[in-house]
Amino acid sequence: MGIGLTHYLILSGILFAIGLFAVITRRNAIMVLMGLELILNSANINFIAFSRFGGINLDGQVAAIFVIVLAVTEAAIALAIILNIYQNYKHIRIDEINKLKE
Amino acid sequence: MLTDFGIILIFFIVGVLFVAAGLFVSSLIRPSHPNKIKNSTYECGEEPIGSPWIKFNIRYYVVALMFLLFEVEIVFLFPWTVVFKQLGWYAFSSMAVFMVILVFGLAYVWGKGDLEWDKPKPYIPKLEDFVDMKD
Amino acid sequence: MGPISHSINFLEELQKSVGLFAPETALTVTFLLAIVADLIFRRSRNVTGFIALLGFIATGALLMSNSSTSAFAFNSTYAIDPFANFFKLLILITSYLIVVISFFSAELYHGNRKLGEYYTLIIGMTFGMFILCSSTNLIMIYIGIEAMSLCSYVLSGYTKEIRRSSEASLKYVIYGAVSSGIMIYGISLIYGLTGHLGLAEINHSLNVANLDHITLLVSGMMIIAGFAYKISAVPFHFWTPDVYEGAPVTITAFLSVASKAAGFAALIRFFKVVFAAVPAQGSIPDATWNMLGSIDWRIVIAILSVLTMTLGNLVALKQTNVKRLLAYSSIAHAGYMLMGVTVMSEIGVQSVLVYLVAYMFMNLGAFYVVMQYANLIGSEELEDYTGIGYRAPVLGICMVIFLVSLLGFPSTVGFIGKLYIFSAVLSFAGKNGQNFYWLAIMGVINSAISAYFYIKIVRNMFVRGAEFDKEKFKLSPESLVVALIIVIPTLYFGLFPGAVIRWAETSLKILVGN
Repeated sequence: MGIGLTHYLILSGILFAIGLFAVITRRNAIMVLMGLELILNSANINFIAFSRFGGINLDGQVAAIFVIVLAVTEAAIALAIILNIYQNYKHIRIDEINKLKE
Repeated sequence: MLTDFGIILIFFIVGVLFVAAGLFVSSLIRPSHPNKIKNSTYECGEEPIGSPWIKFNIRYYVVALMFLLFEVEIVFLFPWTVVFKQLGWYAFSSMAVFMVILVFGLAYVWGKGDLEWDKPKPYIPKLEDFVDMKD
Repeated sequence: MGPISHSINFLEELQKSVGLFAPETALTVTFLLAIVADLIFRRSRNVTGFIALLGFIATGALLMSNSSTSAFAFNSTYAIDPFANFFKLLILITSYLIVVISFFSAELYHGNRKLGEYYTLIIGMTFGMFILCSSTNLIMIYIGIEAMSLCSYVLSGYTKEIRRSSEASLKYVIYGAVSSGIMIYGISLIYGLTGHLGLAEINHSLNVANLDHITLLVSGMMIIAGFAYKISAVPFHFWTPDVYEGAPVTITAFLSVASKAAGFAALIRFFKVVFAAVPAQGSIPDATWNMLGSIDWRIVIAILSVLTMTLGNLVALKQTNVKRLLAYSSIAHAGYMLMGVTVMSEIGVQSVLVYLVAYMFMNLGAFYVVMQYANLIGSEELEDYTGIGYRAPVLGICMVIFLVSLLGFPSTVGFIGKLYIFSAVLSFAGKNGQNFYWLAIMGVINSAISAYFYIKIVRNMFVRGAEFDKEKFKLSPESLVVALIIVIPTLYFGLFPGAVIRWAETSLKILVGN
């Protein structure tokens, strides 16, 4: 019994679900960011697994490189924004930051 | 005949053994003189207990962000090195353009003063602090 | 990418592509000049703004010079076609006007805030939208969306010491990152299904193989979620009211026009290329696109459209903050434009293009007046607008024109836009007698509902009360000139829409494959 495409897809599916769950349920902004990284990395696993086992082309691996870079820039900007939130509110619990509600 | 899972298992076992062996050997040969400060958790020179949100200086975050951004560009360099020989000067010049744009970014960060590590100025005691000048 | 033995061809292709990429290169150079200028002229707050204006003019000239070319660049990942050029020019005009408007903003120039990054990021955002308009590869689309979004996250929180602005920025970055994460997961599934990332290749795979419908539907919906977030379509609109209310007015205007236009460009190209069926031998190609039969995407878009405009208009009814009200109104307008996409034909796309031109003028104008009022009375609440129409008469009349245009009143450009959308929907006749009369009826009902809240703003502005006797506001002549620059096209194209319609008509060519 070898490790095939299915195993990778199950792994990425689980990671995606955990990431989405974290994004929806966590109150701490940093935790939400971590969930986000899980979502992006589950997509990366998909890309690389399809590229490796599909045997068609290397597009998937190129895509993974770009996703890694964009994930980093997104995390950097999100962290900077969360830092600014902390300076304004002295906490980062996103459910308590709701001045903008009717 | 090992399956793929068997290989992973061996990796796992070797990983655990590697760490355990290292700790065991060092515990045999190191001198042991524990005290309170030595036993506290090492946290990059910061006080390890308390709210993690107020302790860290904002300077750490800025440096971490800068490092992250300029480090990740390496990921583009790896595939580039593979085809560099075949594509020659054109590949070189396109990567040079990419690098120049990054250098502009670095220059901007530098010029804005975000790379400055403003050390707290230690107060050097002067003679007047010890001698009562009124006399 | 071909094998290395073809590297000579590859180099030639690359050199040709760089030539086609000139407008984007001009934007990049402008961006670099702006950050250098920001370092050199530390005292000046406007220098990057002026550099941005000059750079936009240069980019516009380059765009006009190859406005009729149709070619692929960068190994068919980037299409230079009239369709992309239309959107790029529209976005460029918007960016230009936003920079001009920003010079008048008291909110931005409050205290001694540095504005170097502000104008620089607007250039960066324009660049991202350019990429999005031209991409024919899912990874390029993702890069475009991210380049645009990353700049807009920062811009929406630019007045960072104001709590609601930083809150807007936080909500925008979290919702935006999640939706783009879901989109990239959908892209990875599509890649697994078809083995390709290029839109034309995906289309080819879909045409030859009978792929799993459920996976295709799920991954397609995930990708549409990413686009729907950018055009703020229901149910991906949650960020819109909060971000529009919290962000600086100029950025709200920019997001509501330019990033919505870029989202529509990518959405239309995605549907046109990916889900098109190869016409049978000998059949006459007609203006209605032949779509792959497995999933009826027209119905999916039609449902999105109805939900979007209905929710936008109904929630707008009870808003008391003008910025928030205009946010919901912009959701509703995205719904009207989705009606045009539903038809998926030449005339449908043309109607969306005409509507976007109309929407650009009237929405920018409305937000400009809101900004001027905020400068004068320091408030964006509807109740504080009482009698303001008498205290600043010229601006008041301009605002009335923008609002009735948003409502779609005849003789304004908004009417022309709505007319084209509705007639495109009514003209659709699909196979098996499928039609979208019900969609058009929903559109008309929604326009009627929207009259209530647009007129409510006008009534508040001109209500006679204690404020009537208050002294008049003094406005600088320049700020009135800017208002007129936006009002004149709103009225002119409402009466003589020929130029806009011809422009849209010549911009329908979307490159599909080699």
